[in-house]
Amino acid sequence: MDAVKEALREGRPVALFPDGEGVVLVAEVGRDVRVFRFGEGRRFPSLAAEFPAMDWWERALWERGYTPEGHPDPKPLRRHDLPYAFREFKELHEVPVGPVHAGIIEPGHFRFSVLGERIVNLEIRLGYQHRGLLALLPGKGPEAALLLVERAGSEPLAHALAFAQAWEEALGRKAPPRAQALRRAALELERAFGHLGHLAGLFTDIGYAYGATQVGRIRALLQGELDRLTGHRYGRNFLRVGGVWREGRPDLSALALYREELARLLPRLLKHPQVLDRMRYVGVVRRVEAEALGFVGPTARASGVARDLRQDDPAYLSFQPVVRQGGDVLARAQVYAEETLQALDYALHFLTHLPEGPLAQDLPPGDGEAMARVEAGRGEVFWFVRVAGGEVALAEGVDPSFKNWRALELAVRGEGLPDFPLCNKSFDLSYAGNDL
Amino acid sequence: MSLMQTLRIGRLARPLEDLLRVPDHAFGYPLLRPEGLTEEAQEALLGLCPSGAFFREGRTFGLDLARCVGCGRCALARPEAVGEMKRLEVAVTRKEDLVQRVDLERGTFLDPGPPPPPRPELALPTLAFREVSAGDTGLADSEVALAGNPFNDMGRFGFSVVASPRHADALLVTGPVSRNMAEALRRTYEAVPEPKGVVAVGNEAISGGVFAGSPEVVGGVDRVVPVDVYVPGDPPRPGAILFGLLLLAGRVRQRLVGGVLR
Ligand code: SF4
Repeated sequence: MDAVKEALREGRPVALFPDGEGVVLVAEVGRDVRVFRFGEGRRFPSLAAEFPAMDWWERALWERGYTPEGHPDPKPLRRHDLPYAFREFKELHEVPVGPVHAGIIEPGHFRFSVLGERIVNLEIRLGYQHRGLLALLPGKGPEAALLLVERAGSEPLAHALAFAQAWEEALGRKAPPRAQALRRAALELERAFGHLGHLAGLFTDIGYAYGATQVGRIRALLQGELDRLTGHRYGRNFLRVGGVWREGRPDLSALALYREELARLLPRLLKHPQVLDRMRYVGVVRRVEAEALGFVGPTARASGVARDLRQDDPAYLSFQPVVRQGGDVLARAQVYAEETLQALDYALHFLTHLPEGPLAQDLPPGDGEAMARVEAGRGEVFWFVRVAGGEVALAEGVDPSFKNWRALELAVRGEGLPDFPLCNKSFDLSYAGNDL
Repeated sequence: MSLMQTLRIGRLARPLEDLLRVPDHAFGYPLLRPEGLTEEAQEALLGLCPSGAFFREGRTFGLDLARCVGCGRCALARPEAVGEMKRLEVAVTRKEDLVQRVDLERGTFLDPGPPPPPRPELALPTLAFREVSAGDTGLADSEVALAGNPFNDMGRFGFSVVASPRHADALLVTGPVSRNMAEALRRTYEAVPEPKGVVAVGNEAISGGVFAGSPEVVGGVDRVVPVDVYVPGDPPRPGAILFGLLLLAGRVRQRLVGGVLR
């Protein structure tokens, strides 16, 4: 256990999943990945009291029938047939919100404890989007499995890529170079599309209609290019294990034009007094909190954590992560804005330097196991797959939102209740991705 | 909103005719070609479709559009047996109209007869919708939101999305309906005043889609509340959603009958 604790003290958890007898912890320390297997039967020692980042992971295992011995507050995460006790605060007023919210948004339940208008505590209860996705995977071949994996969060390309890479590595194969470039181009377009959505949502939430419309317009045009490249408006059915299915032709000069337009527009929008007034110093997540709770993606980078998995990918030349220190809504908006331009640069780079060769190689049905991680728009996507006879024997996936949801609980503390939608939108997390 | 901006948005809005077309680079909805359905082609189609959209029942061969994820592999591999429909006028008032059935002996499509008309009490000049996401991955929700953007501009048809079910004329529901959302969906429906309609948006909302059979989902909106209009797609493009709303309001005629555009 000492080695496990040391890894968690220096790094952060990537995944914790049950595997027959015991559990497997994957942790990132520096840029290395360490794998630990511990526990006996269905019991394992809880780490949540010492490492709050482990809390939701252990609760997720608890409801799957594993016992984290000594967990301070075991309650279900996705199952609603088990009793759930919200924390009660005497003398504070309780405001329950959801699962159905006011906007067009996925369902979740938020329990605010407020003093006047100030939020003293927020407890998030999710699980409304639980569809039993992970349980459906065993026994599936690569194509049927990918259908599910593409629905594991609202970033289908990142999930499909991590899953396909894990499968390929399990069989000791690689996708051909042309497919690799096309996959990354699509991933970057997905990132830009997602980020612009977060920004448009933020502008809408503060009533800055001009900003929302302008960003929304370019976003819609960009989606057209993703559609052209992949044949789908969100990039489903594009990736396959072993490569890609097709090769569409996005309009490169249009992409370059959108990039230029955004480069002019975004800095101007983010300096608008209305934006500064509503977004600065609001919803702060501090760096120590981001590190202790293991946040990933733009959430972590806006709080000063300089980690982006693309740093480890040689295809990205000398990659520089976008980092801000403020940790507030504005910092996250700035990270989205700058990463959008960066993503479009990389998309253009990959599409103009397409290696020759086939789009895929057929993989023989084989056996093996491997894990892979991909930097999605929202952060780290993880997939582990064990293949037996060309079918999934065990698959575990983690959407970045699972790692980041608690950032919202921290960000709204001490803020006024009306700032909640703004804080929520600044993370714009996937509910379905959490509820696998 | 400034006048300048309104003018700019006005220039962006696309004619409905354009919105209802599947763009050239994308695959439309698959369409069986009865004459090409040899024994061998049937076997191939049953084997290659990742979502199990094809089926064979006795002397009938069929394709369920509500199961198809639109990957295009069938038409690419077997062009003699599968063509494509490049239109988004695919919303229907009864589920059978999403299923193509070919009588293999006669080599013709089975015709289930004229579809039921939309409900006249919902033929209103404006309709307010409350959206409920019930196990959707977020993409069908996103398409509903984008149906309101300046390009699609559902507002010009008198449609709007409202925050409260009490202000709504109808619900748009996405997702296979997770077990954990069934009660919330039922209660949201009850909160909508009469007369009220329900539109199931996307394959998962129609009968569970790729999640059909999971013990954690109910498997379709109509198992929880009555559905008036089904919009197939994975997710349906905004144009298809708009057509579904127009169908609910009785302003267009249903075109997909027995899975074939007529
Ligand atoms: S397009 Fe793909 S999912 Fe649809 S019927 Fe053809 S093979 Fe199946």
